Amino acid sequence: MSLSIYLTGVGGQGVLTIAELIMNAAMRRGLYCNFYPTKGMAQRGGFVKAQLRIGDDAMAPEIHKGGADIVIAMELSESLRALDYLKPDGDIVIYPYRWLPTDVMLGKADYPDEASVMEVAKKRTEHVTMLDMTLLPEGCADNIFLLSAALKYTALSELFSSDELASEIKTRFPKGIESNMLSFEAGMRS
Amino acid sequence: MIKNISGNEAVAIAAVNAGAAVITGYPGTPSSETVGSLWGKNIEGVHVEWSTNEKVALEIAAAASWANKRALCTMKMSGLNVAYDSLVSIAYSGCTGALVVYVCDDPGVSAGMPEQDIRGFAKMTDMPVIDVASVDESYWLTKYAFELSERIQSPVILRSVTSVALSHSTVDIPDMMPPAQAEPHVYKDIEKFTKAGAKICMDQHKRLIESLEIARQYMREDVINQLCIAKDTSLGIIVSGVCASYLDEGMELARKHADFHAVSSLVVRSTVPLPTDEIREMIENCDTIVVVEENEPYVEHGVMLEAFKLGKKIRVIGKEDGTLSRIGNFDAMSIAVAVLTALDCEIPSEFTERLGAESLCTKRPIGVCAGCPHRGVFMSINEALRRMGIKKDEAIVTGDIGCTILGMSPPFNTLWTEVSMGASSPMAQGFIHAGIKTPVISTIGDSTFLHGGIPGVINAVQNNVDMLTIIMDNGWTCMTGMQVNAGTSKEYQAKEFHNRVDIAKIVPALGVEHFAVHDPYDLEGMTALIGDMLKLSGVKVILARRECAIQAARRKVKYGIMSVDQDKCTKCKLCIMKTGCPGLVYDGSNVHIDKKLCNGCGICKSLCKFNALVKEEI
Ligand SMILES: Cc1ncc(C[n+]2csc(CCOP(=O)(O)OP(=O)(O)O)c2C)c(N)n1
Ligand code: SF4
Ligand code: SF4
Repeated sequence: MSLSIYLTGVGGQGVLTIAELIMNAAMRRGLYCNFYPTKGMAQRGGFVKAQLRIGDDAMAPEIHKGGADIVIAMELSESLRALDYLKPDGDIVIYPYRWLPTDVMLGKADYPDEASVMEVAKKRTEHVTMLDMTLLPEGCADNIFLLSAALKYTALSELFSSDELASEIKTRFPKGIESNMLSFEAGMRS
Repeated sequence: MIKNISGNEAVAIAAVNAGAAVITGYPGTPSSETVGSLWGKNIEGVHVEWSTNEKVALEIAAAASWANKRALCTMKMSGLNVAYDSLVSIAYSGCTGALVVYVCDDPGVSAGMPEQDIRGFAKMTDMPVIDVASVDESYWLTKYAFELSERIQSPVILRSVTSVALSHSTVDIPDMMPPAQAEPHVYKDIEKFTKAGAKICMDQHKRLIESLEIARQYMREDVINQLCIAKDTSLGIIVSGVCASYLDEGMELARKHADFHAVSSLVVRSTVPLPTDEIREMIENCDTIVVVEENEPYVEHGVMLEAFKLGKKIRVIGKEDGTLSRIGNFDAMSIAVAVLTALDCEIPSEFTERLGAESLCTKRPIGVCAGCPHRGVFMSINEALRRMGIKKDEAIVTGDIGCTILGMSPPFNTLWTEVSMGASSPMAQGFIHAGIKTPVISTIGDSTFLHGGIPGVINAVQNNVDMLTIIMDNGWTCMTGMQVNAGTSKEYQAKEFHNRVDIAKIVPALGVEHFAVHDPYDLEGMTALIGDMLKLSGVKVILARRECAIQAARRKVKYGIMSVDQDKCTKCKLCIMKTGCPGLVYDGSNVHIDKKLCNGCGICKSLCKFNALVKEEI
């Protein structure tokens, strides 16, 4: 058994937290895990990725192109960076948040729309899930929402139950349990 | 104990458990968490410090290793360039305790700076270099490096790469348990600890070369490099560093596209000295040898040399034949490609086909954070030059290393050059001596100034150069993750008795006549000051002082509450265009303040001609 997960997003969104929660759940299961985050620089707003590899044995840090079972993308445009890493027919779940660089905000640069992202993603795999962000209750954590949606729509469910991940979230964030569980349930219903 | 830790932390725990009494370093991605993970922990008998620069860090650790102690010094690859002068001398002298120099290379450049391979330095110095392939090895090989160093009485380089140093991995390693320390002991030995005369230097060189040979024997006995000769095959593969961790996965990938027997393999963990016996055994058993190593083909060259010495003609698949690249980092596919090439199989199209999705991806130029004080400096420089009637791209502004270099990006586009820590001022002087008549300004961060920026300013004073230097003092070494430096406020220094070194006192002491300290949040004042300074002749220095916004935000510091008066806002978006501040958002119809990001620095406020940006003082 082994699972390679490639996560992308923008600094400050909480993408790395998703990876850490999965890593902790894997640890608790006694599975081997390698979590390799790439944060770029200290600033917010830059590209962030994480490579997570879970298995019975030690695994190397980098996922090769076409080697990821799952892609979890937390930003619409950044999901495009991950596509080449996905296995043909792998699972991808996209939280289509648009974190606009200044030039896009000012109308000086382009930003891909959901339809065009969907179109390229479909060239890679049939299993594309574009989440509906309106299902997230106001003020709740979007990364938790995305994690539970990933559990629902990807091979992550072959490894973890929703109870396992939910308890991982509760342990990690003892303060915001109620609101995080709202996010989690919303993700399950997405 | 099973735990999940990073490669850097594993090195830190191993060093403490190996009995290191002195642990030094200078921040640099991806090596920083080694000292970082020990920072603030009071470990009995262990001195931990962020030194002023890598050369200082190495010299301190080396002296401890000359006092019969074990010492660790950590840095990123660029740091070794700075420390190298001392490293050569120290290698010649050797040590009486143990000295391990932990250096991280960055194949694939995820932290910025050259893609250099420090194994070249080790070769040039005849110093053993042990390459770790995983977080697990980061622990065990650190411990081994200390033992080896003590046995051969010479420093040992421990090399990691970004993908190992920053990976968090499940490992079964002991908890941190510092052993009891013995008393230090230094003996006076001019022939060992000085370079007084040719004979002493050549004797030391001889000892160094011999120690390398002893290291080779020890590593052979301890099976540090693992050879596995397979029967019925003439194909062998040699992997080094992190590439070893991709071996099985890469083979499996290759097997999906070709049928082949088990191959002979050699995992090289010491590029210097190369395991020549093991390499020879592989050459004797194989006609084709695949060598997979990131960056430079050092192991590959060693294989070719041994084959030459043996008088056997073999085929080597690696970088010299063009199969693999000297650029970028590797993964399992690199191994599969090299093996399939060795088998004369076609490279499957799925290895090379790309969707081209990345080209649709929005570009994200990295800029400074919301409320960053550096923003005030870049904008003031631009505005001061504009007021002097100098067009953009007419006045050279040299940059230095750190968040301070982000002024090269839009919307500022202020900076022209980035070379290495402290180079900003000498580069500016060079432009001036070349005859550039427009004003030349150099910019540098506080940590960088203390690290290597001071000699450049001294040089400018001596030569009485007409130039302005702006020291951007945000109180921390930020780009690498906000480490403490000598200029950081006293309350954040490691121990109560530690001192803070005030840059405001250093600058006048260097002989700089025109010196001013100013708050970069005050755009108008800063702009005027730059304009005034540029009218003066000789060396001018401005210390732009304001704490890093992220560090301040961690203590919940806010300077005001900003809002947009929608009745006054004409949606000209000038504030966004000029500041590029992530705290200002245009949603397609209105300009807003992102309350989570904005710290109320007020920089944007003074730009709005319609007074639509309102700051509520708190
Ligand atoms: C020789 C060398 N050592 C370390 C680094 C890593 N490094 C990059 S940026 C930086 C921090 C610079 O801090 P400072 O000058 O205070 O600027 P800030 O990031 O705080 O704005 C360091 C240490 C490097 N690039 N080169
Ligand atoms: S980390 Fe601090 S110094 Fe660096 S860009 Fe952000 S606010 Fe500025
Ligand atoms: S006051 Fe303006 S420039 Fe400063 S952080 Fe807030 S939005 Fe950004």
